[in-house]
This record gives sequence, structure tokens and C-alpha cells, in this order.
Amino acid sequence: MKKVVVHPERCLGCMQCMIACATAHSQSKTLLTAISETPLPKPRAHIGVGLYGEGFPNRCRHCDPAPCLLACLPGAMFRDSETETILIDPDRCVNCATCAMACPFGVIRYHEDAAAPPGKAIAVKCDNCLERRKQGLIPACVEICKSGALTFEEPSEAMKRKTDEVARSMSVVGGSLSVVRGPLQLTTDN
Amino acid sequence: MGKYEKNTITQDGQLLLKKAEKDQIETVWERYKAQLPQCGYCEMGLSCRNCVMGPCRIDPFGEGPQQGVCGADGDIIVARNLGRMIAAGAASHSDHGRDLVEVLAQVAEGSAPGYEIRDVEKLKRVAAEYGVETEEKEPAEIAGELANAMQEDFGTRKKELTLVSRAPEKRRELWKKLGIMPRGIDRETSEMMHRTHMGVDNDWQSLLLHGLRNSLSDGWGGSMIATEVSDILFGTPAPKPTTVNVGVLKEDEVNIIVHGHNPVVSEMVLLACQSSEMVELAKEKGAKGINLAGVCCTGNELLMRHGVPIAGNHLTTELVLATGAVEMMIVDYQCIMPALGIVAACYHTKMISTSDKARFPGMEHREFHPDNAKELATELVKEAVGNFEKRGNAYIPVEPVNAVGGFSVETIVGALGGTPQPLIDAIAGGKIRGAVGVVGCNNPRIKQDYGHVTLTKRLIENDILVVDTGCAAIANAKAGFKVAEAIEFAGPGLKEICGSLGIPPVLHMGSCVDNVRILVLASALANALNADISDLPLAAAAPEWYSEKAVSIGAYAVASGVYTVLGPMPPIAGSMNVVKLLTEGLEDVVGATFAVESDPEKAAVLIRKHIEDKREKLGLTFVKV
Repeated sequence: MKKVVVHPERCLGCMQCMIACATAHSQSKTLLTAISETPLPKPRAHIGVGLYGEGFPNRCRHCDPAPCLLACLPGAMFRDSETETILIDPDRCVNCATCAMACPFGVIRYHEDAAAPPGKAIAVKCDNCLERRKQGLIPACVEICKSGALTFEEPSEAMKRKTDEVARSMSVVGGSLSVVRGPLQLTTDN
Repeated sequence: MGKYEKNTITQDGQLLLKKAEKDQIETVWERYKAQLPQCGYCEMGLSCRNCVMGPCRIDPFGEGPQQGVCGADGDIIVARNLGRMIAAGAASHSDHGRDLVEVLAQVAEGSAPGYEIRDVEKLKRVAAEYGVETEEKEPAEIAGELANAMQEDFGTRKKELTLVSRAPEKRRELWKKLGIMPRGIDRETSEMMHRTHMGVDNDWQSLLLHGLRNSLSDGWGGSMIATEVSDILFGTPAPKPTTVNVGVLKEDEVNIIVHGHNPVVSEMVLLACQSSEMVELAKEKGAKGINLAGVCCTGNELLMRHGVPIAGNHLTTELVLATGAVEMMIVDYQCIMPALGIVAACYHTKMISTSDKARFPGMEHREFHPDNAKELATELVKEAVGNFEKRGNAYIPVEPVNAVGGFSVETIVGALGGTPQPLIDAIAGGKIRGAVGVVGCNNPRIKQDYGHVTLTKRLIENDILVVDTGCAAIANAKAGFKVAEAIEFAGPGLKEICGSLGIPPVLHMGSCVDNVRILVLASALANALNADISDLPLAAAAPEWYSEKAVSIGAYAVASGVYTVLGPMPPIAGSMNVVKLLTEGLEDVVGATFAVESDPEKAAVLIRKHIEDKREKLGLTFVKV
């Protein structure tokens, strides 16, 4: 099954994924109108800043086993069996922050959301854009990422590509190690 | 055909897109698709690259930064970015105007062979406006003095530009009161670049006011000079029949296309194409003749003055090459996609760039200057003729459409009997409800020509006279709105008036710098009524605009008192303050506002409502829309 794969070395820090994510989780699904909505939609993906100012696209990995799911006291968190996505039931969430304490990636935030009862802050995190995927679209953060820092693919293919990349970097070209890294290839036909 | 129909309403466009795909040519639509989704920060005007403490972005969802490194908030960043767009647009038109003034100066010196003063009467009229004495002087002498006086307008030594005197007095008073009277063409652009440097003007309202002044320096300065000097040098347009769309290319003739904006190059190419020596040469090479056609605005310049056919507008420029029938494309500047050279490489087409300030990949650079233009044009035409025998299979899939262009203000007022009064009477009597300028570009965000043609159709159906320029004018010509018989599309009142004058309901007024012709016409109407432009039942629309020049045009239209409806949203949505000022607040400042409406059907309703509201205020018959 295809998953969002993060390639931090390709992140340019443009924050497009954040804007696309907030828009995808708005009521109107359109940037120009989303910014006037109440509650204001917020991104589930975030760009962190590394030691040298480099960007790092941070989003929920939908871990298995998932620490947040195990930690959730009211049982608001559950796994969608079909897509293996960790989701939150907004009616059950009591905003206790236990899931955030358990999350090793720090990707769970607390705020009002269009999906929650009005006025109630809940835990909010990446939902793998299930709504978009029902319409045949890929996750919004991947669609907008122009540098290939976020891809939507079979994990096995991503791993094979990474293995090939490492192998190629070890190839000897003209008596020295090659440092040539080819363009990101989403198919692994070589 | 479905996927091609999504891109363009034009039949030639759809057929040539199919051909381009077969020939593996990437077009503007594919490149647009590859950019999707586009940058949200930039789309909203919330990214700033003005300094290297940045680049900075403001998070429109409120979670991230709300100020740039310097402290500029969304309002300031949006206003600065918009200001720079206006400056770039005004600079483009005005630099085009400057090039014409330089030719005028060289004609006066006698160092521009091939160029001449073709409208001496207009030369004298404009010279008088500039305070140049014309009695008992040779045209060349007047031209020299006029060129000097015009060059003064570009500088910074004046309180106001000369040609603002054409604006209604009330309008000029308003500009003075607001402090937006344009002082120098280059000065206002230069000042905009200064104001938008870090740490200068950080009041979004004052930035926008200067934006209006900068745009006025274009509309009543650079562009107006460009149009007037073009008329003086190449003749004031008068109605002439012509044909439009890709079908104007000919299977059995040498096809040369001129592309760009400045008639300085295209006029000389036309001269060379008409020379009997070149036509003979073409026949020797097996062609029946030489067929010159235009695309974009330099095409409009030739169409207006000589009835030279037009092969297409902005989004057709690549597809024209995909016919494989073009021996040579000669470009000057503005709106020439750098992709053209790559497209042409698939065919035998020779691509020639001509301006010292405009170079393109895959084009041979042959620089035009007033002193060598005639000679170089002849050389190029000769090479184009020589290229005819290399042509492979040509694909010219449609028949051309008839059109009439050439409606200068002089022609329109002349047709009305020397005064705008009959037009005023027709508007006052309600047969014509008002007039709208439909102008601007193509933009792959909008199905090609759909915005222009749909809006224009709805307006004339509702007895609103349409005047058009630029790529909008070409779209409407392709749609068949520019023949006398097109009154069939018009409402009963407009049909009657246009029918009695024998004119189409949509009047082609020229290229995009020629939008100033519309300003002059609007001023003539206002002056005849002792009113301001903003009192009149007029509006403007740019249903498919894309360029910075269009931002400047829109701003000078609004600053001159004309309600202006844009199709695509300009990059200002990141600041609700700026949006509100431009779409509401300006009404109390300059008596006109912008509106944004990408659906031309809805834009037509907005415009009709505006026109009927103005009619009500003037005490004329009106309908509640």
C-alpha cells in the first residue's frame, strides 16, 4: 500500500506542504477562501529547522505499534484498518495531551477544527488525506512538494530506490568514488 | 477532442494542440500543469524577496510568522509586491514609448532611413499640446522639438506630465488633491522601487496611492506617448478589413510572423515584404508571394494601420509554429515566451530576436536600430524567402475569419461627424446603455478566449458597446464580432446605432499600449458633458489578464475613474485590508474600484449593474439589475 515517504535531504524549507495541508483540511478546500474561515484551518504537517537552517518536513508516520494510540486514555484514537491510518474521533477526544507526550515525532497539536464540535479544542494530526484519496487525489502535501521531499509510493519501492542510491554512490568512477546522485526516480526499473 | 477543448475555445487552437502533441511539443498548458499546485504564499502576495535578511513569508493561517524579518506584516508585503508589479508594467510600456520617441528624434535628424512622418497633421496637433511652435516649420523640425519635449516627460523636472491635460479638469483636480498627479514617467517607477526597498514606505495605503500615481505615469505618460508617436510615424489607424486566426497562413506563400509589441520593427518588416524585389525573389523560389502576419500586439499595431492579418493571440504563439508553415518569426519584446525557440527547433522556422534588450534561447539575434532597420528587415525577409524551400508538411487546419480593425479615436469621432455628441445622445437616449473596454491577455488559468468572448457577447447583447485592445481584441475578432454583420449578436438599441453607422458592435482600438485611446475617448465624452470620467456609464474588464503590464493598466483605469473587473485574482488576497481598499475603499478616493470575477457570465452582470447605477445617478433611464 502506498504511503507518504519523507526524504528530508530534499526539503527546501518552502513550507508549501503546510499551506496545502491547511487548505486540504479547510471547509472550502480553496486557499483564498480558507483563510477567512472560522475556525481557521491549520496544517498537520510542519517544517522544522535543522542545525544549519535546513528544513525538515515533519508529519505523522502512522507508526505501528503507535505510541499515541496506546497512550490514548478515552479511546479517541483508532487505526483505520483499510489504510492503516491513525485517526482521532473528535467527539471522544478530551484534549488531555497524553498522545502528544507519547508521540516521538511531536506531530500532534491541539486546537479547534472544522471536524470538531464548535468551540472545542481537540488533538489534531495528519489523517493521510483520506477525504482527498476517496476522490482519487494523492495527499495534499505530496501533491504540492516540487522538490521530491515528500513522495507517495510503496514503501518497498522507496527502500529499493534508497538501496540503489547508496549502491550508486559507492560505484567507482574513473578511479574514485562517485558522488553523483541521479534525479529522484519514482519507478525502479533499473 | 475533450482534453483540447479544456484549454481553448478556438478551433485552430484545439486542432493544433493535437498536432503539437503528435509532434511531441510541450506547450504553455503542459508547463502550467507541471507547476500545479502553485505557491500559495506567492499567490496571495505574502512572500517577499526584496532583501537578503529574507526571503520571508507570512503564514495566512496565523500559526507561523506574521511578520517578515524586517517587521513588515502582510499588509505591507502585499502592498510592496503589488507596487513593484505596477512599476514593472509601467516601465515596460514607458520604455516602449521611449524607443518610439528615439526613432522620432532620429527621423528629425534624418538618420532613420525608411521611417518617416506619415501623419503630419497629428504631429502638429500633438506638438501644439507640448507647446511646440508649428507655424511655418518643416515636419522634421517639429518632430525634433516634439521628441525633445517628450523626453522631458520621462525625466523628473516637471510638476506634471504634459498629456494629463487631456484628462477632465475634475479628474486632474482630484489627482492633485490626492497627491497622485504623475510628475515624470521614469520618476514614478523609480520612486516605487525606492519606496519598496526595505525601510522606506511602510504604510500600505501610501504605497498603494503611489501605485496609482505610478500607473498614471504609464497611462497618461509612457503608453500615451507610445500610441501618439506610433500614429505620427506610421499613420493614425482608420478602419480596414482583415482576417484572423491561424488560417491566415498560406500554403503557397512565404509566411513571416512578427511577434511582440513595438511597431518600430514590424513596420520595417512590412515595408520589406511589400517590396517588388522580395516578392519576385519569393516567386523564383516557388512561392506565390510573401504573407506577413502578426501575433500579439505588434500584430495589432499592423492590423490597425494596414489591415495586416493576425494569426493569433498570446496562447496561440507556440501553436502557430506547430503548423510547420512559418518560414520566420521575428520578435521584438514583451510577452514572447522563452519556449518559442525550443518549439521552432522542431520545424524549419527561423527565429529572430531584434531588440538589444530582449534575447531568447534558440533565436538568432539580429539587432534593429533606427539607422539599420530598413536594410536589416530586407535581409531578414530575403532569408525567410530562402527558407521556404526547406518547409516540410504544412498543417493549416482552418479558414480565416473576417474582421475590421483600426478604430482610433480620430476615426470614431470622425464617423460620428466630428464630435462625440451622437454617441452621447445614443447613451443618453438609452439605445446604448454604456461602453466597456474589454482588454488584456490570455492566461492558461482560463480557457483561452472563453473569458473575452463570453463577456463581450453578454455585453453587446445588453446594448453595451464594447471597445477592445490587445489579446482580448484578437479573441473577439476570431469569434467573429468584428464585422458589420456582427450586429446580429447585439441588443436592439446597439444593433440600430451600429447598423446605421455600418460599424461592428465591438470596436478594435489597438494594442495594449493603445488602451490610452480608450482613456482619450472617455475623456472626450466626459469633457463634452463637463463631467468626470467616473460619472459616466463606463467600465473596463481584463477577463484573462496575466502580465505586470495589465496590473498597471488596471490601476490607471481605476485611478482615471473607470470601474475595472479582473478575471484572475491578483496576488493580494494575503491582505484583507488591501483587498478591501481596492474593491471598496477606492470608490471614495478616485470614484472607481476593482472587482475580481473569474466567471465572465457573472462579470457581465457586475458590469451591467455598474452601468445602470451610473445611468441612474446621471438621471438617465435605468434598469435595476
